[in-house]
Amino acid sequence: MRKKKRARIKIIIVAALALLLLLCAVFAGVLAPHDPSAPNAAVIRIAPCAEYPLGTDNLGRCVLSRVLYGGRTTIAATFLLVFISFAVGTLIGILCGYYGGIVDKLLMRVADVLLAFPQMVIAIAVAGILNGGMTGAMISMGVTMWVSFARLARSHTFALKNEAYIQAAVFAGKSDLYILLFHIFPNLLAPVLTQALTQIGTTMIGLSGLSFLGLGVIPPTPEWGAMIAEARAYIQIAPWTIMGPAAAVIITIILFNYLGDAVMDYREV
Amino acid sequence: MTYLLEGKNLNKTFREKAKTTIALSEVNFCLNKGEILGVVGESGSGKTTLLKAIAGMLKLDQGSLFYNGTEYTGQKPRQTGQFLQMIFQDANSSFDPRMVMEKSLIESGRREKNPERIRQLVQLVGLEEELLQRKPAALSGGQCQRMAIARAFYSDAEIFLCDEMTSALDVSTQARILELLRDLKKEGRLSAVFVSHDIALVSMLCDRIMVMKDGKCVEEGEISEVIRNPSDDYTRALLESARRQSIQEPIG
Repeated sequence: MRKKKRARIKIIIVAALALLLLLCAVFAGVLAPHDPSAPNAAVIRIAPCAEYPLGTDNLGRCVLSRVLYGGRTTIAATFLLVFISFAVGTLIGILCGYYGGIVDKLLMRVADVLLAFPQMVIAIAVAGILNGGMTGAMISMGVTMWVSFARLARSHTFALKNEAYIQAAVFAGKSDLYILLFHIFPNLLAPVLTQALTQIGTTMIGLSGLSFLGLGVIPPTPEWGAMIAEARAYIQIAPWTIMGPAAAVIITIILFNYLGDAVMDYREV
Repeated sequence: MTYLLEGKNLNKTFREKAKTTIALSEVNFCLNKGEILGVVGESGSGKTTLLKAIAGMLKLDQGSLFYNGTEYTGQKPRQTGQFLQMIFQDANSSFDPRMVMEKSLIESGRREKNPERIRQLVQLVGLEEELLQRKPAALSGGQCQRMAIARAFYSDAEIFLCDEMTSALDVSTQARILELLRDLKKEGRLSAVFVSHDIALVSMLCDRIMVMKDGKCVEEGEISEVIRNPSDDYTRALLESARRQSIQEPIG
């Protein structure tokens, strides 16, 4: 019981920090001291000071403002992608696990093929074909991301559909749709949601990575990966330009991974 | 004569690569209203296969099933559930772990929900009403099994198919569940097929018995008659082992 309480406290603390991070991104317009896209030739590569707490970049733009606005782009794209992958993957997994048959076999072989390659390699290839852009980057990541959700949902559905309470619902005359919605889905939601939380960090790295390679957002839109790519040329003369977005990526990834772990620990206690 | 439930010439074979298992071979049975038919046999004798076939959970290779004289062979559990209900071995897992008992019971009904009737049924099986607001994990195995019995009644099914329903319970809980079933039978509320590997248990509860071995019914008859004069060697062996188990000498 004490372990459970400790695990719950851990979740509350990490979730509060994650919420704070999200609020910073949502209220970037209020919190940002300067226009994130307005260049200013008078303040190029200025070190952190009172007016520019994280300094300025190569075009004299406020790094803090860009990091705050960049959070909007990065976090919104990550959450949207994880949510779509979660929804599509879980739906495919549940249907495959419940009905089985040829469609299940076919989709699972497709999943095996996608898993045979590193996720980033496929993402780079697809993003290249789609000519970059944030939508292209999200599609390219989404091509493989649904697989982990589908496999997890499928294996849980496979186990759940043979449970006696599902049989009892069948005897009560409940339809397949009712069973899927009110018995299978609620009972596999916890592990799949945990998976979604742990996927946030990986997705953020992937999207930032694609932007870093020029396959993500198109400048001057502030985005953490793109900001790191832009700043790396000046890493020796103006290291603060890279530290802001890099710290933002690291903190966000650690926070969401930790949140995923905390939820998993809570479920296991 | 029309029986409440009848099976004629039931056959089922499982084929798995090179292995063929005859699960049911020429099995015939009948169940009258208000009667409990016990099905006994060792593991792999075909008891559960018979129960699943009756419930429509698996397709028979051959044979016919009748409910009140009307054939229902080939019907799936969604249809057979209108007149029969399964009571599972592990009662806890027969309830959705996320649902409170009341919701699970309401779900089992095919008619408009009737919370008052649920409360009456819960009292009938000897449980307190407040347990209806608990999830299965908060109930003991015996309490869950009683809830499962209440659920079967709420579903308005006429026939209960009990699959080793007391074997996961401790001896005292088992005795209380048996007592409940006996009371329900006396009141004429219960018609059931009671599958168990324990012939002693079956003899305490059932009116008739069917002994199964290797998918075949080796003996069938009134319980008192079969226990007094078993005609088959296998039945004799089962009875002998039950007697030995009940009068075991202390070790050492």
